[in-house]
Amino acid sequence: MAKTKHYRHRNGAMYLMLAPYLLLLFFFGLLPAIMGVLEVPKPSMTNANGGWDAFAIVVQDFRFMPAFKHVLGFMAIFVPLMIIFVIGMALMLDIKPSPWKKWLRMAYIVPASISGAVAVLVWYVILQPTLSPIKPILRFFGITEASQIWQTENLVYILVGMAFFAIAGNWILIQYGSLQSISSEILEAARVDGCSVFQLAIRIKLPLISKYIIYMSVLVFAGGLQIFVEPQLLNSGVYQGIANSWSFDQLSYNLAFTSGDFGGASALSILLLIPSLLGALLVIYRTDMFEGAQGHIKKKEIEVQAI
Amino acid sequence: MTIDMKEVRRVFKRSTNGKMRHQHPLSNVLVTSWLVLFAVVSLIPMIWLVLAPSKTDGELTYRSPFAFGSLKGYLNAWKHLQFFDDGVIAKWLINSLWYTATIVIIATITASLAGFVISASDIRFKKTFLISTLIMMLVPPVALVIPLFVEMDKVNLVDNPWSVILISSLYPFGAFLAYIYYTTSIPPELYESARLDGCNDFKLYTKIALPLSTPLISLLAFFAFIGNWANYFMPYVMLPSSENYTLPLGLGFLFMSTPAINPGVGATSVPIYKPEIALAGALIAVPIMIMFLISQKRLIRGMLAGSIKE
Repeated sequence: MAKTKHYRHRNGAMYLMLAPYLLLLFFFGLLPAIMGVLEVPKPSMTNANGGWDAFAIVVQDFRFMPAFKHVLGFMAIFVPLMIIFVIGMALMLDIKPSPWKKWLRMAYIVPASISGAVAVLVWYVILQPTLSPIKPILRFFGITEASQIWQTENLVYILVGMAFFAIAGNWILIQYGSLQSISSEILEAARVDGCSVFQLAIRIKLPLISKYIIYMSVLVFAGGLQIFVEPQLLNSGVYQGIANSWSFDQLSYNLAFTSGDFGGASALSILLLIPSLLGALLVIYRTDMFEGAQGHIKKKEIEVQAI
Repeated sequence: MTIDMKEVRRVFKRSTNGKMRHQHPLSNVLVTSWLVLFAVVSLIPMIWLVLAPSKTDGELTYRSPFAFGSLKGYLNAWKHLQFFDDGVIAKWLINSLWYTATIVIIATITASLAGFVISASDIRFKKTFLISTLIMMLVPPVALVIPLFVEMDKVNLVDNPWSVILISSLYPFGAFLAYIYYTTSIPPELYESARLDGCNDFKLYTKIALPLSTPLISLLAFFAFIGNWANYFMPYVMLPSSENYTLPLGLGFLFMSTPAINPGVGATSVPIYKPEIALAGALIAVPIMIMFLISQKRLIRGMLAGSIKE
């Protein structure tokens, strides 16, 4: 009896300790997702009879296609740029690591602190010829007035710039970290066999960090899809009207808070959630990034000294 | 992933005919110059932002963008900010501090407990918790902002800071990090022998797991801080009254209501121009920058989620 008590003890205390997190997970993860779905078929201004037509109605909204084109254009530049640039920089840093290069890595991380509202302020200044810290470059391109840059059609590039600088540095460091995980034995063997720096990068290093590249791509993609703060602030606080309902999240916000159409806004949120969920499932089930989380954890495979 | 060394050798013998290739010194110089150039580019905006409040609005235009005005400039900019809405900026700063601190505390504690329980117990549905945690961690939090607003509206928490605090305290990434940490750093035998010595489950956490988790706690607090200090979308939706704003919301509000960078706003009696909003911006950006600089290693280790060797 005493023995079984030790091996099959009750888990009450364990559940109690898990409870705070589980409550948060339920109330702010699962419940809103369910509520979002349930909100969709409720009758609203645009969907007077209610029902699941709300999805079709929001897609047919006159602002949906423009937002779709903007976000698609944004992602088409932002995601590949991030992947190519970040991996390229990480590989370059990894060619000849030397102690002084840690200063470079520190510099790369600085722009990560400039995001959202601060990014809007800083980019306003950078692209303002009278104030800009890069005046000579602007002048080189013949830009003497801010109005030459701040046009709706240029917005996608400016927003890519903001998003890129806000996260590229972090990811360069992270991917540089993932490159450090490659065993020096493999690299040495390849070098001995006459592998050039370029071949080493393409044929050895890249395949070995591919799961981290997929992980980054999914997070970058999911984050980019939800772009909101920068266009919203530019539109409301700097150049009025330049980016009205520019992105999906702005449209969703306007549907909810300008038109009071929570059904339509929820429908759009749910539609946007689908690709993010698919991306998450891709990382979880199609890479071994989180293999430890799937029940067959082998202690030696996950090295803890990393933390 | 394992690599067959023979295969590696074979591939490279074939592609290089067995000859050693060295990197050209010129390309070495090019690579290094490029790396340095990007570092300089990375620093420019922050240098401007930190120096801007030292100058007057006029000096910002006619002096070099990298010139330093005077220390008094910072003080003046802060004084001028006080003129806006009876010094509401101080309220925003305090709000930012206490919301973020509360989120960091709740998120760190709940995530660490959850990670411990999932790693050290044999409770049911463990795998379900883990997979839902991973999904929540990979889906951006703003994806649910509209349904969250509907939910908060139902319980009357809109315009109450606790809406943002509670929502942001859900920390799946932290729970996952804690789970990985406890699974890999504490051998199950340790719990087993503590149990034999009469430790109950609470004590397993407080006497064994917690004392061994200093690196974990600092990691959790770091990510919770950087994820919430500059957060905009969630408080923007949940907290409509200006007295509940955080600094980032306040900065956005200053864009809208002063002519500093908004040509649409006419002249006002409030002396808020570019140095003033640059100071507000620096108050948001500099703490994050400091955290990043002192926690570089935490960033890398956390994001690679312990799945990597040093």
